[in-house]
Amino acid sequence: MGLLAIGTPLEWPEAKKVASHVREWGIEQLLATWRRAKGKERDALLWGDEVEYLVVCYDDQNKKVRLSLRQADILAALASDEKLLKQGGGVPDVQRGQVKEGETAPVFHPEFGRFMLEATPGKPWGIGFKDLLDVEPNMKWRRKIAKDHMDPTEYPITLTTFPRLGCGDCTTPTYPVSGEKLRSQFLPDEIANPHIRFPTLAANIRARRGRKVEVNVPVFHDKNTPWPFKDPTVNYDLHNWPEDDDVRNGAAKENHIYMDAMAFGMGSCCLQITFQAKNIEEGRKMYDQLSPLGPVLLALTAATPIYKGFLADTDVRWNQISRAVDDRTAEELGEKPLENDRWRIPKSRYASNSTYISQDPRLRKEYLDPDLVVDEDLKKRLVEGGMDDLLATHFAHLFIRDPIVVFNEDLKELDLSKVDHFENLQSTNWQHMRFKPPPPGNDTGWRVEFRPMEIQITDFENAAFSIFIVLITRVILSFDLNFYVPIQRTTENMETAHRRDAVLSEKFYFRKNPFPSRPIKATGSSASGSTTPLPVSRPPSPVGPVEDEYELMTVDEIINGQHPAADGFPGLIPLVENYLNSVNVDVETRCDLARYLDLIRKRADGTLWTGAKWMRHFVRGHPDYRFDSVVDERITYDLVKAAEQITRNEARDGLGAEMLGRRR
Amino acid sequence: MGGGPSIIRRPSVEKSNTELTTALRANFLVSQQAAASSTSNGASTTPSKLSYQAWTAREDSTLYIPTLDFAHSGLAEERSQYDITVKLFYLPGVPSSRRCAQTREAIDLVLRELHVPSIDLLIVSFPGFSFDADDEEDDALSEPDGEVDGIPEDGSGSESGVGAEDIDTMIETWRSLEKLHDEGIISRLGVSEFGTARLARFLGKTRIRPSVDQINVRDCCVVPKPLILYAKQEKIELLTHNDCTNILPRGTLRELLGSGEKGVGVLAGPSGEGEGLRGDVEPQWVVKYTAVVKDRGVVENKGYFAVAELGE
Repeated sequence: MGLLAIGTPLEWPEAKKVASHVREWGIEQLLATWRRAKGKERDALLWGDEVEYLVVCYDDQNKKVRLSLRQADILAALASDEKLLKQGGGVPDVQRGQVKEGETAPVFHPEFGRFMLEATPGKPWGIGFKDLLDVEPNMKWRRKIAKDHMDPTEYPITLTTFPRLGCGDCTTPTYPVSGEKLRSQFLPDEIANPHIRFPTLAANIRARRGRKVEVNVPVFHDKNTPWPFKDPTVNYDLHNWPEDDDVRNGAAKENHIYMDAMAFGMGSCCLQITFQAKNIEEGRKMYDQLSPLGPVLLALTAATPIYKGFLADTDVRWNQISRAVDDRTAEELGEKPLENDRWRIPKSRYASNSTYISQDPRLRKEYLDPDLVVDEDLKKRLVEGGMDDLLATHFAHLFIRDPIVVFNEDLKELDLSKVDHFENLQSTNWQHMRFKPPPPGNDTGWRVEFRPMEIQITDFENAAFSIFIVLITRVILSFDLNFYVPIQRTTENMETAHRRDAVLSEKFYFRKNPFPSRPIKATGSSASGSTTPLPVSRPPSPVGPVEDEYELMTVDEIINGQHPAADGFPGLIPLVENYLNSVNVDVETRCDLARYLDLIRKRADGTLWTGAKWMRHFVRGHPDYRFDSVVDERITYDLVKAAEQITRNEARDGLGAEMLGRRR
Repeated sequence: MGGGPSIIRRPSVEKSNTELTTALRANFLVSQQAAASSTSNGASTTPSKLSYQAWTAREDSTLYIPTLDFAHSGLAEERSQYDITVKLFYLPGVPSSRRCAQTREAIDLVLRELHVPSIDLLIVSFPGFSFDADDEEDDALSEPDGEVDGIPEDGSGSESGVGAEDIDTMIETWRSLEKLHDEGIISRLGVSEFGTARLARFLGKTRIRPSVDQINVRDCCVVPKPLILYAKQEKIELLTHNDCTNILPRGTLRELLGSGEKGVGVLAGPSGEGEGLRGDVEPQWVVKYTAVVKDRGVVENKGYFAVAELGE
């Protein structure tokens, strides 16, 4: 999560004063990067996955499970383990060993939530098919290392959210709620990583917004759920902070679960994949082409059916994180006329992305967001600096935001060999795709991060989705596929993906024909010295209405293909199979990959359940559940225990077989 | 008569024979259109009314469909960035004595198309048999360990496949591949569809051993253990594919080239109407080439050439 610079962070009123300063310097740093790296070529495919964990702590005697807030201790243990350091592992922010020629131990990172850990491979993966097969064992290794540096009562679980985060007695140790930074009536300030960056982030988002963040999730209406539902955990009589008025002013919506702190969103675990492109052009293409897949993969990985002790009526985490870091003012939100702020902003800093950036002739202007908000002055500076309009627009759009955490020490001198100011804005724009320029000081190339997927309970599933996305990028590049739809359709798809069981019951806008139009034979008038000159004037490719290019499809159709296959969308899995048939893959690798593809195929066609569906089913089948949407301490304890058992056994004992199928 | 190169872009979900015919048809159409727009000086000529001679080329007794042009294709980066694999399908009913020349011709076309001096892996597909995991299990059960060498070499025995040729005929073909290897044109050789027993008999007679055996594993991954173990022991890589052995049946080609609805008018109609060529087409061989950027796993170029003979 961004850079962990040390210093004195400015409180919001001060930070706001220097916002333009930071943006301008950030743009200069971006231009310096761009000039340095725009010609970078022929970088290999390297990629990495990030797995995030919740650290839970069992109280077996009382059948309770709580979040452990020992992140710092666990990281300290990981960073000082000599054996681990020798293998190249550790905690890069603190201490890690040298990257090895051969196998390198994974590394760990702090996260926003003090109950979270993040782990990444010790060095990036390549495209060698053997590398792909190392992903799952490496993820298992990460979990084992993490577990080995925890207390016996603790376990690193990969649930997106802790089901009872924000209920009383949900952490160990316990702290009082309503602290100065978060001012949450459900969570203590100590829920966040104590590094000054994190509480400041939360406090300044709240301060900029002028009230607490407001996260309302529709509650699942079960047969005994009181209706209309008024979140019974909301305290309307608190008077510690001005923000305690929020709920008295209607912040908690009827029939919704109400939450009021950044940790409810940023405390979620995701599965993110980053790819290095061969050059900036390929990176821009991947950014665009992966974008329409985002909502589909969000629905397919759905794993978030519970919030603050209630079953929700949605299946994924996305919008909750979006709202939990939404720093827009009432003016920017359109609730008040614009007086002090510069513009209305339609989306949170955490949202589906709003730009296409590839210089691909297939990118029609109709695909772009007509209402995109752009800082025209910064865009002008980028264009003056030599950047093309499309990319300048992208960054000038990200830079409409204010920097949230600004360190006083960094404002003295502009250092063009650093990217701290650029990253300040870039890394607090949490869109579902991220385009990452090469960092200074090493040979890393242009990268694209795919961010929408939810973390899965088992390493098998996490490996499957990671590898699937990697293969999809290879398919896109090999077959020159075109998934463009107007970007507003992707925004709408993102909403669709939230609905309960969207994977089976909803439809998504998707491009009907992903193939390039017939290649015009390369022979032609330019063929000097050719013995068979066939002067070809490239006929203008027929361009129909944009609306005819896409239609609503089920996730099954997008993943497995439409019928009849001859005319319909071919399906992402058949495309991957076709790619694998075009390259040399050995038998054993192919069979292992088949296991992963099979999981995704069956999740899409409904043979196997998403994590969200499985958890719902578990709760509703629990003897203590009273069909009133309440997920109590005992149900949570059993659910987390079951998740751990599934993590260990991967349904070989039958538990979780609805999600994973029959495993050998 | 030669079939044209084609960069496959619409990957078919079907097996590669569909991919091949789709690619050939598409390439023919593109060439027709190109010729139509160039000969007509702006006036519209429908490609279908265009004589095949406008977009094909005759050199001696060979007709290139469409006209080949090696000026442009090739690869974007230097040779060392690529893994180039070529698979040569010897088709059924063609005398094996022709294969030496056919192999040369096929490799030559690929080298010219890709603008490279050598290829990394050549896999050959012999007609008449395909790998069957179930047969293989039975084979393994009926063959006590260590006795593979004692199997009769007449090509019958427990090996399945109607029309499969005997090992000696295959070895004869193999000699010409070994020569290409000696000349540095091909780095590694491979076979396809070989089960354990056939592989064992084959290996003993080769000078340059195959380093790859490519088998069709379809959906279910039931590769017999004995084959996996044997391949490991002999340091042969078992690769997967999804090709048909009979990749270009005569009927398919006739339809493709014919004067019917789906044809491109190179061949005359059944009763000799049209200006097209008369006679029977007999597919001889098909070659598939794939160039993959090694450290990025991107298939940059993929295509086919096919050759058929026109008989009386």
